[in-house]
Amino acid sequence: MTDVTKNIQLSEEEFLLNMGPQHPSTHGVLRLVLKLRGEFIEDLTPHVGYLHRSIEKIAENRTYAQFMPFTDRIDYCASMPCNLAWALAVEKLAGIEVPPRAQYLRVLMTELNRIASHLIYLGVMSLDLGAFTPFLYTFREREWILDLFEMTCGQRLTYNYMRIGGVSRDLPPEFYQSCKNFTKVFLKKVDEYEALFTYNPIFLTRTKDIGILPIAVGLEYGASGPTIRGSGHNWDLRKVEPYSSYEKFDFNVPLGTKGDVWDRYMVRVQEMRESCKIINQALDGLPEGEIKAKVPGVFKPPAGEVISRIEAPRGEMGYYLVSDGSTKPYRVKIRTASYGNLQVLRYLSRGWKIADLVAIFGSLDVVLPEVDR
Amino acid sequence: MGYFKEFFSGIYNLLLGLKTTAKYLPERAVTLQYPKEKWPMPERSRGIVVLLSDPDTGELNCTACLLCQKACPVAAITITQAKNETTNKRYPKTFEVNNTICCFCGLCEEACNFDAIKLTGLYEFATFDKESLIFQKEKLQELGRNVKYEKKRKSVAKKPAAKSETTETKPQSAAPSDPPKGEEA
Repeated sequence: MTDVTKNIQLSEEEFLLNMGPQHPSTHGVLRLVLKLRGEFIEDLTPHVGYLHRSIEKIAENRTYAQFMPFTDRIDYCASMPCNLAWALAVEKLAGIEVPPRAQYLRVLMTELNRIASHLIYLGVMSLDLGAFTPFLYTFREREWILDLFEMTCGQRLTYNYMRIGGVSRDLPPEFYQSCKNFTKVFLKKVDEYEALFTYNPIFLTRTKDIGILPIAVGLEYGASGPTIRGSGHNWDLRKVEPYSSYEKFDFNVPLGTKGDVWDRYMVRVQEMRESCKIINQALDGLPEGEIKAKVPGVFKPPAGEVISRIEAPRGEMGYYLVSDGSTKPYRVKIRTASYGNLQVLRYLSRGWKIADLVAIFGSLDVVLPEVDR
Repeated sequence: MGYFKEFFSGIYNLLLGLKTTAKYLPERAVTLQYPKEKWPMPERSRGIVVLLSDPDTGELNCTACLLCQKACPVAAITITQAKNETTNKRYPKTFEVNNTICCFCGLCEEACNFDAIKLTGLYEFATFDKESLIFQKEKLQELGRNVKYEKKRKSVAKKPAAKSETTETKPQSAAPSDPPKGEEA
């Protein structure tokens, strides 16, 4: 009897807790070692690498065109931007001029993919916070986008749509109307999500003032995309360093003020609206012409090194590419946004409870295969 | 009295809820009874790889040029070339697609100049045996029998010409590619 009571006695000791690798709220396979005092997080170490597939090494054994399907697998929630960044890197290296129609198609597809990716974020984030229904709503709209993609390139997840010098296929005839309908319906749906979330008291309690990220810290850790824009740092590569004729589009870069979970949510919701604007502009202003520049069958870019970077839904994504003049790249380094964003987690979650950690991690919108490559 | 009030308000609320049910009742169901019904796959859908045959002669369009084999990023295609001695035409002696590693990227279809290989909307190929996922030429041809295809831009320019060449000036068209063929066969 005495022994039992001795064991029950509450203590103030720190203890370690493994969260993951298989935990539903870690969005894949991430292991977090939490140092806890009671329910509060003292410190945290993310262990990555469970999904390492050595994509960078694979690139060294494939030709430039053959590597394109592999870029789909870097970030499976947003494959189009991964495709685009690779195509841009190789085109920059070889000095290929992309036809305007292909550039517009790339913008169109990338922005559709941005919406699809943010919808996943919204659904999964709500799921993490305990709301199940929004998950079904967001996936209903995402389904439409996937249908558009399937119509165009034949796949729903691994698109392999971009090619070096352009895109693989032109839009099917029924695409225009379906896409127009989508943007029209989708704006109403965003209002619906906002009605469900934005000023919902439960959602506010779970997200407001939690996980505040100062700009300086975010920049130090290499955070990018909506994560850093939620703090109010105005950095969007589509504006700062326009690629693929983004300079011709009229859109705003939504910014947060404080940098808490709610701000990051808000930035993404606004971005969905802005993406809709870009999609409409791209559909209306779609130039006629070729969809692919002439690229020789045996493609040998000149020796040299090049960096491409784009604004993927999760932030800055890019390739560092070294060529030795042969048909295969000499070295490929992939910079993904999720890796930088994950590093902030340690700073953000100190002092918060485990339940808040789930909210903070959800707000960073990390895709684990992108972290590990 | 409070009991009856609650009773009626309960019934009222039940009917209110059933109103929503009634609204959606006449609408078509979103779900499909999967094995019996199927979604129509889009024309460009990238499912399993098949080999296409000429609808008139029933022979494979493939000329064993190995372009698809070279284009495949995961080396799922293995071809052995052979030469028909009488017509002096190349054809694939064996054509093997390993569906356990195929990533359905569609690069083989793009590389092909002869409308010989295509990714189709077929997708039901679950088996208990890994070996049976490695498809041989005969199986691929059988799958591609009824697949409709439109001739590619490239091949529209090339194929009629190639056809006329095969009937009139066969040796010329085959001549430049003779050496590698000889080595393989």
